[in-house]
Amino acid sequence: MKKQIMLTLALLTLSFSAYASNAEVKLDHEKIPTDSASILRGAELVVDTCRGCHGLKYIKYTDMLELGVDPKTVDEWRKDKPVNARITTNMTPEAATAAYGVVPPDLSLMTSARDGGVHYMYSYLMGYTANSKGETDNKYYPGTRMPDMLGSAAATHPKQRAEISTKAKEITAFLNWAADPHAEDRKQLGKYVIAYLLLLTVLLYFWKVQIWSKLK
Amino acid sequence: MYKRTLEWIDKRFPLTGFVKHSLVDYPTPRNLSYWWNFGSLAGIALVMQIITGIFLAMHYKADIGMAFDSIQHIMRDVNYGWLLRFIHSSGASAFFAVIYIHMARTLYYGSYRAPRELMWWTGQGLLLLLMATAFMGYLLPWGQMSYWGAAVITNLFRATPFIGDYVVIWLRGDFQVGDATLTRFYALHYLLPFIIVGAVMVHLVALHTVKSSNPSGINLADKDNIPFHPYFTIKDLYGLGVYLIVFSIFVFFLPDTLIESANNIPANPLQTPAHIVPEWYFLPFYAILRSVPDLAGGVVAMALSVLIFAAMPFLDRSKIPGGSRYRPAYRVMFYLFIVNIFVLGYVGAKPVTPGTALLGQFATIFYFSVFLLLPWVSKKEEKYLRDRGLPAEVEELIKDEEIKKTERRQKRERRHA
Repeated sequence: MKKQIMLTLALLTLSFSAYASNAEVKLDHEKIPTDSASILRGAELVVDTCRGCHGLKYIKYTDMLELGVDPKTVDEWRKDKPVNARITTNMTPEAATAAYGVVPPDLSLMTSARDGGVHYMYSYLMGYTANSKGETDNKYYPGTRMPDMLGSAAATHPKQRAEISTKAKEITAFLNWAADPHAEDRKQLGKYVIAYLLLLTVLLYFWKVQIWSKLK
Repeated sequence: MYKRTLEWIDKRFPLTGFVKHSLVDYPTPRNLSYWWNFGSLAGIALVMQIITGIFLAMHYKADIGMAFDSIQHIMRDVNYGWLLRFIHSSGASAFFAVIYIHMARTLYYGSYRAPRELMWWTGQGLLLLLMATAFMGYLLPWGQMSYWGAAVITNLFRATPFIGDYVVIWLRGDFQVGDATLTRFYALHYLLPFIIVGAVMVHLVALHTVKSSNPSGINLADKDNIPFHPYFTIKDLYGLGVYLIVFSIFVFFLPDTLIESANNIPANPLQTPAHIVPEWYFLPFYAILRSVPDLAGGVVAMALSVLIFAAMPFLDRSKIPGGSRYRPAYRVMFYLFIVNIFVLGYVGAKPVTPGTALLGQFATIFYFSVFLLLPWVSKKEEKYLRDRGLPAEVEELIKDEEIKKTERRQKRERRHA
C-alpha cells in the first residue's frame, strides 16, 4: 500500500511541475520601498506624470495631507477644488478615448487589481521596449495603449536606467499605499493583537494542563 | 438576590437545569483529541461572521452603482472598517477550513456511524447552507470575479430539464446578473446565517442526545466520561486561542492572499476575465463540474460530489467499530481521498489544458470510486481482519452488537406473532 501511495505522490509531483512551468513572462521581483520618503516622492510623480490621464478616485486631497505631503503642494494640485475632493483626472473619458482608444483605468486599486501586485506594477513600468521604427510596446502587457511615460524603452545607459527604476519603484510604492492606506496601521495593530493572543494562549494552555491534572 | 432571581426564573424556565445538563455536567469522553475542537470553533467562526456581517451591513450598499465603492468606503473611511471587512472576508475561508477539518475528523474516526447518522445529515445540511451563504456573499463586493462567478454558477441551472432557462431568470431576477441579483443575494446572505444558527441548534440537540464520538470508535463506559465543565471549556478555550492566532496572521498580515486580484476591478458585464476561478473552498467541486464534458452531467456530478457524503452511514458496511483505528484499508482510503481532494483543488484553480482536464477526470473518477467501493472494501476488510484476529475487546463489542440485534429482532417477531 505504501508503495502505491508513494507512486501516486510521485506522479502528482511530476504533473504539478509539468504544468507550473508554462507561465507567462517572469515578473521583475525588485524590492519595492515602503518608507514614507519614497511614498511621498511617488505621490508627486503620480500626480505630475500619471494624473493627466488617470484618476485616483478613492484618494482625497485630505488623504495626501495625512500622508505627509506639504500643504502648499496639495493646494497647487487641487487648485480650486475643495480639499476633501477626490483626486480625479482632468481628461474627459471622451478625450481619452479619442486619444488612446480606451479610458485609462483608475489607479487607486491598481496594485491589488493585478496578479503579481506591486511586482507587476514595477515590471510593467520598466517593461517597455522599442522596435526599429521607434514604436513602443510592453513585455508584460503587449499592446498596451499607455505611452512609455518614464522612457524605460529608450534608456540604455545603466545610470539612466537606475534613475528610471527608482522612479518606477517610488510610483509603485505610492500606488501600493493608495490601494490600502491602512496597511501600516493594520500590521502595527496585528503585532499587538498576536502578542496578546500568544500570551493569553500560553496561559490558557497552562490552565488547561492544571485542570486536567486533577483527572486520575 | 442572585439566588432568588434564579429561583424565580427556574420556576418558569429550566435555566439552571439546562445549563447544568448541557454545559456543565454534560458527559464527554475523556480521550477526545484536539481534532474534536473544531465543532466549537465552527460555532465561533459563525458568530464572528454574523457580528462582523451586521456591522458591515451598516455601511454596505446593495446597488450595482454603489456596491464596489461602498466596500472601498468601508476599507478607507469607516473607523476600523478595514478590520471588519478583513475579519469577514478571511472569516469565510476560516469557516470553511474549520468545517472541512471537522468533516475530515468525522470521516477518519467514523463518527458518522450509528447512532450519529442524524448528526452527519444535519451537518450535511449545514454545509449546503454555508456554501449557499458564501456563494451569495461573494457577489456583494461586485468585483469582476463576484460578477462572473455568480454568472457562471447561476447559469448552471440551465441544466434543469424543460424549464432551465426560466429557472436561471428566476434566480437572477433578470436576464443577466444585475441589480436584481445583487439585492436578492444580499437579502438572502443576511437571512441564511440565522437559518444556519437554527440548524446548528438541531445539530447540537442531536449531539447532546447521542453524545460525542471519540477516537476509539467505541462508546465509552460511564467512568471514562468526564463533565464538560471545566475540562472541555478550558480545552476549547485553549484551542480557540491557537485558532485566533492563526486567524489573526491572515487578517492582519495576509488579508489579500484570499482575495482574487480581479475582484479589485469593478464588475464589467462586457469583459470576461481571462479565467474565472471560484474561492478556494469550492475548487474541488468546480474541478468535478468541469471534468464532465456535458453541462447537465457536470452539474449532476458536482451536486452528487457534495451530497454523496450523506450516504456514508449506508456505504460503510463494516461491523468493526469506529473509523480508522482498527481498519487499515479504511485509513488508506481516507488518506488517498484527502490527497485526491487536493489534486481536484489544483485542477480547479488552473485554466483548462488537455493535461489538467485529464488529471481532473482521473481525480473525479477516483473521488466517486472511493465512495462506491466502500461497501465492498469495508466488508472485505472486516472479513480479513476478523480472520486474522481482532483485539479481544473489539471482537466482544461486535458480538455484543450482534446479540443485541438478534434480541431486537426476536422481540419484534414475538410482538408480531
